[in-house]
Amino acid sequence: MSANSIFESFLAGQGYALFEYLGDGDFRALGGWPDWCANIWGALPDRDQPIGLAGKSAFLENFLVDAEEFWRAHLPGSANSGNWIERDTNGREIPLEATARSLDGKRILLLQNLSESFGQQQQWFQTARNSLLEHEKLLKEIQKKEILLHCIVHDLTQPLSAMNGVFNLLERENLPGALRKYVKAGERESQRQELMIRGILEAFSSDLAAQQSRETSAPEAPDLLVCAKQAIEEFSPAFRERQIGLSLGAHAGGSRGWRVVGESSRIDRIFGNLLENAMRYAPKGSSVTIGLENHEAFVLAYVDDEGPGLPPEQRPDQLFALFSKGKTHAGKAGLGLYFCKITVERWGGAIGAETRKGVGSRFWFRLPRAVQTAQNVATAATRDKSVDNEKSHKLRKAEHSLRILVAEDAELNRDLILELLKKRGHVAIGVADGRRALAALDEHDFDVVLLDEEMPRMTGLQTTAAIRRREVTTGKHQIIIGISGHATTDDEHRFREAGMDAALAKPVEVKTLYKAVESAAQSLYSPAVLSQPQHAAQPAAAAAPAAAPSVAANTPADSSAKSSAESEDALTHLRRTTGGNEKLIRSLAATFLVDAPKALARIRSAVTKKNAAELASAAHLLKGSLAIFGAPKAVAAARNLEALGRANNLREATASLRTLESEFALLQHELRAIHSAAKPKSPVPRKSRPTTKRSRRKKR
Amino acid sequence: MLQKKVCMLGSFSVGKSSLVRRFVESIFDEQYHTTIGVKVDKKVVNAGGEDLTLVLWDIYGEDVFQKMRMSYLRGMHGYLLVVDGTRRQTLDDALALHDRVAAEIGKVPAVLALNKFDLTDQWEVEPAREAELTAAGWTVAHTSAKTGDAVEKAFQHLAQAMLAQ
Repeated sequence: MSANSIFESFLAGQGYALFEYLGDGDFRALGGWPDWCANIWGALPDRDQPIGLAGKSAFLENFLVDAEEFWRAHLPGSANSGNWIERDTNGREIPLEATARSLDGKRILLLQNLSESFGQQQQWFQTARNSLLEHEKLLKEIQKKEILLHCIVHDLTQPLSAMNGVFNLLERENLPGALRKYVKAGERESQRQELMIRGILEAFSSDLAAQQSRETSAPEAPDLLVCAKQAIEEFSPAFRERQIGLSLGAHAGGSRGWRVVGESSRIDRIFGNLLENAMRYAPKGSSVTIGLENHEAFVLAYVDDEGPGLPPEQRPDQLFALFSKGKTHAGKAGLGLYFCKITVERWGGAIGAETRKGVGSRFWFRLPRAVQTAQNVATAATRDKSVDNEKSHKLRKAEHSLRILVAEDAELNRDLILELLKKRGHVAIGVADGRRALAALDEHDFDVVLLDEEMPRMTGLQTTAAIRRREVTTGKHQIIIGISGHATTDDEHRFREAGMDAALAKPVEVKTLYKAVESAAQSLYSPAVLSQPQHAAQPAAAAAPAAAPSVAANTPADSSAKSSAESEDALTHLRRTTGGNEKLIRSLAATFLVDAPKALARIRSAVTKKNAAELASAAHLLKGSLAIFGAPKAVAAARNLEALGRANNLREATASLRTLESEFALLQHELRAIHSAAKPKSPVPRKSRPTTKRSRRKKR
Repeated sequence: MLQKKVCMLGSFSVGKSSLVRRFVESIFDEQYHTTIGVKVDKKVVNAGGEDLTLVLWDIYGEDVFQKMRMSYLRGMHGYLLVVDGTRRQTLDDALALHDRVAAEIGKVPAVLALNKFDLTDQWEVEPAREAELTAAGWTVAHTSAKTGDAVEKAFQHLAQAMLAQ
């Protein structure tokens, strides 16, 4: 037996099968035909006959293309097929691997039965992948707990605020020395605990709650340049430690200032998240730069790094999704950028990332420029004065005694508010629901009406609607402040839509209560206002309470305009609300045309799948977008769907969906015309303008 | 009989092998058995009155440990892009894989299987995202290898799309 023959026999004994490739998919066995080959592909008819292996295995046939290329190119080394599984005649799965080599000018194929080692390899992969799955599950659990913690902490603050109010009342009583000391101690501890809880809330779920706060008007609006400088100062030591440069880059064109819509502590956090992100990916010795650009309606801020850039397969928008992490998993739980996104978007801005030409990546966000008007400045001045007087709220009676109606079904809350208002020198009457509030308004005149949002028989919103309806004939404007359990931005919108002037968070705090009520009523005593009918001042803006920042900015002037909005087309509405900014109008229309159909599709899908929670969420989203364009019927239909979703009652959802779809189509038609018009003085030229339901109504 | 090569593509643990087992053998195993190679199965289907052999290439899922070899897709007539609907990331990964496949192989018929649809309480693919995919031209199937829901339908749809090519 030759040495070659011995070697071939040895290979066969070890689970290898050796073949010489003859061409056209045929092979010649060199060292025998092992049993496992026979079990898979049948007995070898004749050792000298070619074996059509390629025809027996689809996988091998595929590999043969690579092998032939390898042999043809006379490459050194070998070409490997990777593992594959064949099933033998007993149904057992046999893991195999093929290797192509060239030996002495012969094209050799080595088949290996991996049964012995495969189990171990499989176990290793199984363990590793199970660990990855466990890791993913763990991250989700952490997220769930964070949300739960947020809810718990949020609920914990509510009774504490009420306790603070009670302590406040007690403090005003003529208490004996020792008792006063105890009350003081109680108040101090209660406030301390509230601060601690708010701190936890801030740390764990800050952005979920704090989206609600934003300043829209200069000079109170945050200054992006100041925020950027602060972020650089804060992060410089950490960057230095990693030997990465951090500096402020271009910020030209700042003559218009850098004030934007938002809230400075949130913007600090956004810069913080983007810088942390840059720090993770920027290599040693490289530089990270913050830059600012002034655009017409927006201010753009960006963080440039000199890292590897975004992976080619990474869609930039995915980076900002919940639980999204970079491919290296260098970050934490995938929450930071997500929070940046929801914060910026809530303020009407946008956020994104891109690979820079040359090197590195750019993470950017843009925010709407803060509005700088004389009125804003005046409002801010009033607010400043109000802040200056904050302490005096506690100490002295109000300058003007107001007649205030408080409608609140929760007795304790009602009594607390009444008591606080009376202590302040106001005349206050309490009722338990909206109907009683209307009855009280029939009997007496009130300067301010406080309406709880959720009351039996008639809610705060329904009561507001009833009051506003009456005003059509009386011509008077009643100042209404809504009281909400949450005071979120959504509440603000809802209150504004319902015609309220301002919003207060519940449980009501003494300072914010006084500020809200007295600022709102300021218009009643302002000579400038007295000369105008319907209190056309800015009570709502002046009423902005520190703890309930989502005060509705809906002025009475807006409200009166709103009543005419029923018959407005989208363009007229937009011109009124944007001050005739045609560019902004087209941009709003374009955004709506792209985004709103997706929200409508979500609603359709939720109705089809009877997914109540999804319906509520999607309808809520669309409602907000529709309101920008007036579209009262569409807004009402979306609101109705939201309510049906929240009530988990989808029986009438299909009918509401139909209404929404038809109103949506009308609006879409109008907006397309706006969008496509180069200089849209009207949505479409008069002659070609389609007769929409709305315009038909108008004609009638 | 006409044969069509169909590849099962997607991340690890999305249920590619389970879908093949359900489709070919009508079996489902709760236990997760990772695939580390390629397994080829066959099944005859009738599409539009014509019998057709689907040669199913169940290819191991991509992860940090293993990248897929594009050479496995040679001669592929269509593919099932499988996503675990309870793990949002697997959709992003699948779409990234799809882009690579399209760049390498060109456009071939494909069906997007949002698998594990029986686990509705853990579902993470938002309807809006799904609407986006449908709008982008994807045929989306809500499959469950566990219950068998829409499995046959997904392969049938793919078979018809391949025949129509």
